[in-house]
Amino acid sequence: MRSSRLLSVVVILLASVAVLCCAPVRAGDEWLPITLEELKMTSEPKAPGAPAIILYRQIDRDDSDARTPHEYNYVRTKILTEEGRKYADVEIPFFKENENIVSVRARTIRPDGAIVNFDGKVYEKEIVKARGVKFLAKTFTLSDVQPGSIIEYHYTVDFKEYYVFNSHWTLSEELFTKLGKYTLKPYAQFALQWTWPNGLPEGTAPPAQQNDARGNFIRMEARDIPAFQVEDDMPPANAMKYMVDFIYADGDLEKDPEKFWKKRGKKLYDQTEGFVGKRKAMEEAVAQIVSPNDPPQTKLQKIYAKTQSIKNTSYQIERSEQEQKRSKEKEVGNVEEVLKRGYGDGDQITWLFLGLARAAGFEASPVIMSTREDHFFRKNLMNGRDLHTNIVQVKLDGKEMYLDPGAAFTPFGMLPWTETETPGLKLDKDGGTWVTPPCPDSSASKIVRKAVMKLNKEGTLEGKLTVTFSGLEAAWRRAKERNQDEVHKKKMLEDYVQEMVPVGINVELTSKPDWASSSPDFVAEYTLEVPGWVSGAGRRALMPMGLFSAPEKHVYEHSTRVHPLYFQFAHQKLDDIQIELPPGWQVSSLPQPVTQDAKLVVYISKAENKNGALHLERHLTVDLISLDQKYYPTLRNFYQLVKNADEQQIVLQPMVVSSRN
Amino acid sequence: MNSKLSCSRWWFPRETEFLESWPSLAALAFSLLAFAAPARAGDAPAWMHALMNVLPPEHDEKTDAVLLYSEKVVTVQSVDKIKITVREAYRILRPGGREYGTLVIPYNSHQKITAMRGWCIPAQGKDYEVKDKEAMEISLPKIEGSELITDVKDKLLHIPAADPGNIVGYEYEKEDQPFVLQDIWRFQQESPVREARYSLILPSSWEYKVTWMNYPEVKPVESGNQSQWVVSQINGIRHEDSMPPWQGVAGQMIVSFVPPGGSAQSRGFQNWKEMGIWYQALTSGRRDASPELKQKVASLASSSGTLVEKMKALANFAQRDIRYVAIELGIGGWQPHSAAEVFTHHYGDCKDKATLMGAMLHEINIDSYYVVVNSERGSVTRETPAHKDDFDHVIIAIKLPDGIADSSLMATMAHPKLGKLLFFDPTDELTPFGQLSGALQANYGLLVAPDGGELVESPALPSAMNGIRRTAKLSLTPAGTLTGDVQEIRVGDRAWAQRWALRTVTKDTDKIKPIETLLSRSLATFQITKASVGNLQSTDLPFIYNYSVMAQNYAKTAGNLLLVRPRFVGNKSSDLLETKEPRKYPVEFDGPSRDTDTFEIALPAGYEVDDLPPPVDADCGFASYHSKTEVNGSTLKYTRTFEVKELSVPVSKVEDLKKLYRIIASDERNTAVLKPASH
Repeated sequence: MRSSRLLSVVVILLASVAVLCCAPVRAGDEWLPITLEELKMTSEPKAPGAPAIILYRQIDRDDSDARTPHEYNYVRTKILTEEGRKYADVEIPFFKENENIVSVRARTIRPDGAIVNFDGKVYEKEIVKARGVKFLAKTFTLSDVQPGSIIEYHYTVDFKEYYVFNSHWTLSEELFTKLGKYTLKPYAQFALQWTWPNGLPEGTAPPAQQNDARGNFIRMEARDIPAFQVEDDMPPANAMKYMVDFIYADGDLEKDPEKFWKKRGKKLYDQTEGFVGKRKAMEEAVAQIVSPNDPPQTKLQKIYAKTQSIKNTSYQIERSEQEQKRSKEKEVGNVEEVLKRGYGDGDQITWLFLGLARAAGFEASPVIMSTREDHFFRKNLMNGRDLHTNIVQVKLDGKEMYLDPGAAFTPFGMLPWTETETPGLKLDKDGGTWVTPPCPDSSASKIVRKAVMKLNKEGTLEGKLTVTFSGLEAAWRRAKERNQDEVHKKKMLEDYVQEMVPVGINVELTSKPDWASSSPDFVAEYTLEVPGWVSGAGRRALMPMGLFSAPEKHVYEHSTRVHPLYFQFAHQKLDDIQIELPPGWQVSSLPQPVTQDAKLVVYISKAENKNGALHLERHLTVDLISLDQKYYPTLRNFYQLVKNADEQQIVLQPMVVSSRN
Repeated sequence: MNSKLSCSRWWFPRETEFLESWPSLAALAFSLLAFAAPARAGDAPAWMHALMNVLPPEHDEKTDAVLLYSEKVVTVQSVDKIKITVREAYRILRPGGREYGTLVIPYNSHQKITAMRGWCIPAQGKDYEVKDKEAMEISLPKIEGSELITDVKDKLLHIPAADPGNIVGYEYEKEDQPFVLQDIWRFQQESPVREARYSLILPSSWEYKVTWMNYPEVKPVESGNQSQWVVSQINGIRHEDSMPPWQGVAGQMIVSFVPPGGSAQSRGFQNWKEMGIWYQALTSGRRDASPELKQKVASLASSSGTLVEKMKALANFAQRDIRYVAIELGIGGWQPHSAAEVFTHHYGDCKDKATLMGAMLHEINIDSYYVVVNSERGSVTRETPAHKDDFDHVIIAIKLPDGIADSSLMATMAHPKLGKLLFFDPTDELTPFGQLSGALQANYGLLVAPDGGELVESPALPSAMNGIRRTAKLSLTPAGTLTGDVQEIRVGDRAWAQRWALRTVTKDTDKIKPIETLLSRSLATFQITKASVGNLQSTDLPFIYNYSVMAQNYAKTAGNLLLVRPRFVGNKSSDLLETKEPRKYPVEFDGPSRDTDTFEIALPAGYEVDDLPPPVDADCGFASYHSKTEVNGSTLKYTRTFEVKELSVPVSKVEDLKKLYRIIASDERNTAVLKPASH
């Protein structure tokens, strides 16, 4: 009997301990115990060289009572180096309208275990205060922080009454996190779904729903979350960070992505057809644009050009409300109004194209697109806002092509890079089907640099250069400079050449390039002087092969890589350079032609001596959009070979003057 | 306005600012502006309309905007209250001039912006008007190296239609409870100025004193208690890389307001001595040591031997154990926290660290003095009058006791009254005690001595104290592969830069990156096979890199020849002056420096030297460059020295510098030719 009672007490105690261990830390609990291991830690083997690591991170979101939604945060950081002490400066930003930061507590634990409680002031900094909007930050700094110290703080974000919204747990932080514990107690009146679009740290069990005496929780625990690192040519950070997204839905939540998108597609189809469906007006308009005898492609090109000529308000400088009011530009309700008023935003212009193309007899469909500049689209996230731009699929001579005249300066037949290699929903009355417009291959976006130069006896190259930017290489330059003046545009083009040549040069733009159109080619002509391009080698003179090789000199300098490589679009650089030598100079030797063919990246370089004049060719083709990190060494090696080939020297023999003369 | 001593690199050259920095904050600000209700349209004032047909000042096609009219009226009401009204109007000339449509007025908790309005007169159509209720307030979020907490804010107003061809203008009023009875009229700026006026209204019996900087003195028109200065047709200052700081070249007038009875008693100063007294009063008692601090000093001093070692121990503590944190509210921008407080928290800004260092030195019976400086040399010059706004940093001058002769104490000057002073920057944890970073050398600052202040020039260290000594022993194969070992010994700012780069590295694997970056500038293909860092933490010793490298195809083949560049790594040339525009301002170097390279390349068997690059001997006075390639047996030896001897190159000599850089560039590309040995 006695032992049975004792057993009951032990069970109750153990159960209490278990509940305590699982229960989120609250202000009443204040601080978690510090372990000896944490105190003595001098480095973290899984984050070698880190200035500090997060030992413990906790986020407990509680939306369950819509009158008092709040989020509790706890951060414990181990300072490992002097540099790591900067993490003792803490700033917690918040919008005053909807949230407040309360119950901020902090402390420093010295390496010897002595505790310095934070008794300083928590400042409230007004980062931005405008009419009705206050963006503030609670700011404080901890005392007596040294390498070896542990700093920790916790606070609660109190949200405004009934301020329940989609939230997320961001697991990837600037520092390595040893242990993270996350909970969400959802608002029961809304349906909730949660996803982890970029995966979870290795060994992490997905967030799980748990019902206990304290209510319904989504809970997750993660260990050893790597610090998030930023690299050149990496995918968007939002596509790489570990995070868990929570989406509330008012009403029944659709759990099947296919059904979700069908439903969404139907709704968007109706909206689009409502906007586009002005058949008669479109037919009248198209009769003014095309001739009945035009071949189909010409017709389509004329319609494309017409729609691109309409004032595209998406590409104008952002106007204040006063200016917008005064400009009397009204919201347009359909394609007929876009045509009549002569302006529209990019989406409206694209739908006008759809209407006109159909009126001209083309089979054309609206496509609602995701874009890939900020994050990667994932159907199963069922985030309707991810499809936020539009293009048109047209059948031309039996082939499907994708067009977006609302993207200013984009040549006929192409799409902006953000709308390629990413899914879109081709709308129809049943909801639609998924399409993925391809990224055009490198031959569609080229930079051709043709130079006719003379070398003088001082080793300076002088002559004319013509650069032709085509495809997307032309489009982005035109779009970027659209609101600049001629002086700025000229400087931009001259700076381009400055950046191409590995030494200081004098360059002057001599032509007036066509900035306004979306023609595939954009041509700039220059005079170019390259002082000291030829270097001395005693009796000989040496000329490097790569006149326009500067950008490739500084790519992939480092041997290690964390993230995959990611590029905007495939492209080519083609150089054709003729150099007339000074009278009496001769070519002693030419480098061997080089061909480096790594399939997706190809480099060709060759030099010829044509009747005492040099002819240099250099082709660099990049057909890459993304590349796994494991191939980084191969790519780096390729570019090292490119650099090496660019540094090959042509040996010249200046005219030898006889000593007897 | 530069109202803080916090080592901040942010410097605001104009009374009125435009949103050029903080892009993300600007984006947020603009997005928030969308919430603001539009003000009703109203006519621009008559003074703006009067400018519609005036001729703009001389300008070129690259000018974004011109300042047609500027008027600043300063009304001193008492020692505690100054009212400032400003009206300005710009004509926007280019798209880049749109930024002039966003007005930003800095202010702090002792200042109040009482009125603010802006207008635009478009080339066509009705005027636009915006009022202060549409303004927003912003302050700097946490940015590493800047103040963590400060009461300095900006008030921002967006004027509509700031497009080319239009005129934008504004008026505002500010009330100031001044810390110091001074003002600066910065009439020269980036945009050319057609006309600028400054009016000063003083209470009766008050006087003023003005000093002109970088511009010939203009006499005022006096009328009763009002004085007015007018300047016109002022050139704009266009940024050039490595130019002197703005304060060092821009025309400005510094005004001191003198109440009856003189300035020293009432927050004013007319000379450096008085400014020193003002700063002394501000710091009075701040260097008193608490018992805990005394105990710490005793502990640090007891573990050190000589007096110099004791000083070094204290310096190390101030530099490294006290974390840099700037909390500056009100006069806290100028007044340090007490040494006791800094010690308790183990954090502080530059003036806090200087205060703590002074207090600790006092405990070992060594006197020291504050030195108030600008962290950019050239902001304050020998001609600068006493005023506070061009300073942003505090260091310390330590009076070395007689008889101390330690060769590591380099940054010294002999003061006629105070004796030998050692300049030391407790904020700069990577520059050892005894030295001074390049930017602080030959820099003018206020020495706060016991009997007042004086403007002193800080010492310049010998060029040999800052440089890279790089040596390499390499060997070349017939296939052109170069392998070998390299050692780099870095001192001064060159060491500082590498320590800083490695300090901010967050992963062990990234520690090799600075070497990779260096090598990639010179080598097409390379592999680092071994690397180590020496004396990373020991800032009083040279910083050392040792690495082994293999560079395939280093030598290029040309027929049966091998082409070898003797200059293995390192770039000393620069395209700084390869610009179309003629240089308008001197070129400023970071500091004196002396870099040397010695590269020995063992030639492959079966080859001999056929041609060598010529030696280079170039000396421009302010800098020199010498290089030589020679053959010693079967070794190609390249040596060079690049020395910067003066800190500034005047405009009259920039062509010499351009030529020097071209000579260096040519030498760096020069090649030795190897041919098969004839025997």
